[in-house]
Amino acid sequence: MALQVYTASLLKEGLVAYLTLDNNLPSWTTDIHQATAAIDDSLEALKKAAEQSEQDNIVVAPYAIDVIKTDSGIIAATKREQIRATGPTIELPQENIRVSRKAA
Amino acid sequence: MYQYSDQDQQLLLERVAQFRGQVARRLKGELSEEEFKHQRLRNGLYLQLHAYMLRVAIPYGLLSSDQMRTLAHIARKYDKGYGHFSTRQNIQYNWPKLEDVPDILDDLAKVEMHAIQTSGNCIRNTTSDPLASVARDELEDPRPYCELIRQWSTFHPEFNFLPRKFKIAVSGATQDRAAVAVHDIGLRLIKNETSGENGFEVYVGGGLGRTPMIGKVIRSFLPKEDMLTYLEAILRVYNTLGRRDNIYKARIKILVHETGEDKFRELVEAEWEKIKAGGLYLKDEDFAWVKGFFKDPDYELLPDNDTEFENLLLSNTDFARWVDKNIELHKQSGYRIVYLSLKTAHQPPGDVTADQMDAIADLADKYSLSQIRTTHRQNLVLSDVKLQDLPALWEELKALDLATPNYNHVTDIISCPGLDYCALATARSIPISQAITERFDNYDFINDLGDVSINISGCINACGHHHVANIGILGVNKKGTEVYQLTLGGSAREDAAIGKIIGPAFEADEIVDAVEKVLSVYLENREDPEETFLMTYRRLGQAFFKERLYG
Amino acid sequence: MDNYIKDRKVDSNEWMPFTGLEDGDSLPTGDIYVPIEEWLNARETLLTRNGRLGVALRNTDDPAIIKDDLDRLDLVVLEFPKMADGRAFTQARLLRERYGFKGEIRATGDVLYDQLFYMQRCGINGFELRDDQNASHSLRAFDEMTVTYQPASDEELPLWRRQK
Repeated sequence: MALQVYTASLLKEGLVAYLTLDNNLPSWTTDIHQATAAIDDSLEALKKAAEQSEQDNIVVAPYAIDVIKTDSGIIAATKREQIRATGPTIELPQENIRVSRKAA
Repeated sequence: MYQYSDQDQQLLLERVAQFRGQVARRLKGELSEEEFKHQRLRNGLYLQLHAYMLRVAIPYGLLSSDQMRTLAHIARKYDKGYGHFSTRQNIQYNWPKLEDVPDILDDLAKVEMHAIQTSGNCIRNTTSDPLASVARDELEDPRPYCELIRQWSTFHPEFNFLPRKFKIAVSGATQDRAAVAVHDIGLRLIKNETSGENGFEVYVGGGLGRTPMIGKVIRSFLPKEDMLTYLEAILRVYNTLGRRDNIYKARIKILVHETGEDKFRELVEAEWEKIKAGGLYLKDEDFAWVKGFFKDPDYELLPDNDTEFENLLLSNTDFARWVDKNIELHKQSGYRIVYLSLKTAHQPPGDVTADQMDAIADLADKYSLSQIRTTHRQNLVLSDVKLQDLPALWEELKALDLATPNYNHVTDIISCPGLDYCALATARSIPISQAITERFDNYDFINDLGDVSINISGCINACGHHHVANIGILGVNKKGTEVYQLTLGGSAREDAAIGKIIGPAFEADEIVDAVEKVLSVYLENREDPEETFLMTYRRLGQAFFKERLYG
Repeated sequence: MDNYIKDRKVDSNEWMPFTGLEDGDSLPTGDIYVPIEEWLNARETLLTRNGRLGVALRNTDDPAIIKDDLDRLDLVVLEFPKMADGRAFTQARLLRERYGFKGEIRATGDVLYDQLFYMQRCGINGFELRDDQNASHSLRAFDEMTVTYQPASDEELPLWRRQK
């Protein structure tokens, strides 16, 4: 089994979130580096907490993803999850950079 | 354009209140996600890779300048300052919060807009020719028919839980700018040579996705009075017999294919016989009423030439290039149709910032009778610009980065959002479109290539319409790596065709080279510059291109 | 409470589903409805009873198979096996509009708040709500929208002709 974290979408905001267990107290963070990573048996506690959060209408559709621990923290194993964790890989259209709106 | 009656407006307000209730029930936990999903999807709200996505309907691609300003306001207040025009002529916001969506819908309702049936297994926004009513090759304005279809299909009680989504397109011109052959139903206005009356050629069962198919003509001439009864008959046959056991076989194209064209036609005609005289039979008064909303504006009587315009054409190469590529003749003397290119290397295809939207609205007020059209190739159109205003408009569009001279050329790329946004995608498409645009960002090259289309999809659901591009690119995930397949020879126009996969897929860093190679095979082998890419490809065949691409 | 709505009122469900016809000679009393096969097999026997009679269609059945029997039936039961499966909307309209059925058309299965509006427009007037639904709260669903564009079982004409 690989090292895993639990991820989901926050119900209210829709944003990508990761489960943190702190002394068995669950919370959800949008920062994958703060996620609680677990392996094998200890994953069960994460799973339970994630499912509870779904029932409590905090998150939508939680699932486990494979992660890799690096010197700079946790990173997701797949391209899809890397993009989920860090956002679109393209520059988002920006206001006021190339467009100077003229006074009508 | 169509003006809402009090009842239309009341319906919108009731719908917003209803959705507000659904959101509240979901947040309180009274609706499960599974149940809410059906409701939010009927209102254009998806849960995507990073956030919710809201798709707002732009019926048959027609917007007033005030509506465009509202779209800008929403982008600014509830999103990240931009929106994305889609291939269904709609606009999508990528970052709304669920709890804000009812307020967004309230703001939209103030300008007669909504997100009704922009997703879900129901009849979606009817699309049409972005040059409706101004094109020179038009037989009749399709928009009054689109509006009747819009009203008929909105909250249709029988067809709100179809086997799968359902898309209708209507075209009224010789050239097909609405891709009618790749829709669940395509209606093409034609003249009956015997009676002299206009009616429809009816295509059913076209579509892209996993099983791309060109629609079959199931009726060569349908009197226009029978449009809605006939649509109702088709939908009823589909709702009854369409497959529900497999989501990938649930579109009407599979039903038509498996039933057989002739048998399917029989079923529709038999059902139609029973309802053709019913309440949906259209009378002269109905046409008179709806056409009243789409009357020609009072065009000024202008000469079809202008000294300032012609002088600038001779003296300014950039202006001449823009005119050559992005301007279309208008049916009215002294007027022109202007394409606003949403395809630059700086922004994802179809993306527009809130500031650009506001500025476009101002330009529409100033130069084009306060209306804007969206196109299924993800560009915008100002449809009624005076020839004499073109120099001034060009200056303003340049400042907005909306004057790239590339309409219907190689860098006018359709791209789905791909893995950068989409929960279904298997590969990224926007970075590929940007890489291609950067590589070919050279006017002489673009000009020399002429009319050629590149479309990119980030998964086999084919939202980027890659099957019907001359050069289609399909991103797939192969053992964790994004790779890209090339399809060649597709077309979405009146000569509609599904492109064929040319060979093994390319890695992300090879695909632009591969496209360049395909283009150079064309350039080296065309008979003359008049022979387009598609003509050359059809003349020489797939094997010829394959050999040179992989050989 | 039966979690049942009839003609926009919370009501008690007096109908019994009945499928055991082949098991014995005695026919049940009271109001019963039977699956379509039993109706087709034992039509005459069933008609000898005194109580009211209904038939349950599968959502793949063509309602035309009972069109000549409709004046002897007081109930037709339609199924919505899951929310997304909308075949019974068409069946309901055909029963009401084409075959002129005047009795109760009842929705069963995944009958949820947000479908009631569409169901009633197609001529359904009895609703066996799914267990987790609240019948009295659900009554609001009928009135959330008051404007309808197209003809259906409740309107003969499209809005554009009604409002002129």
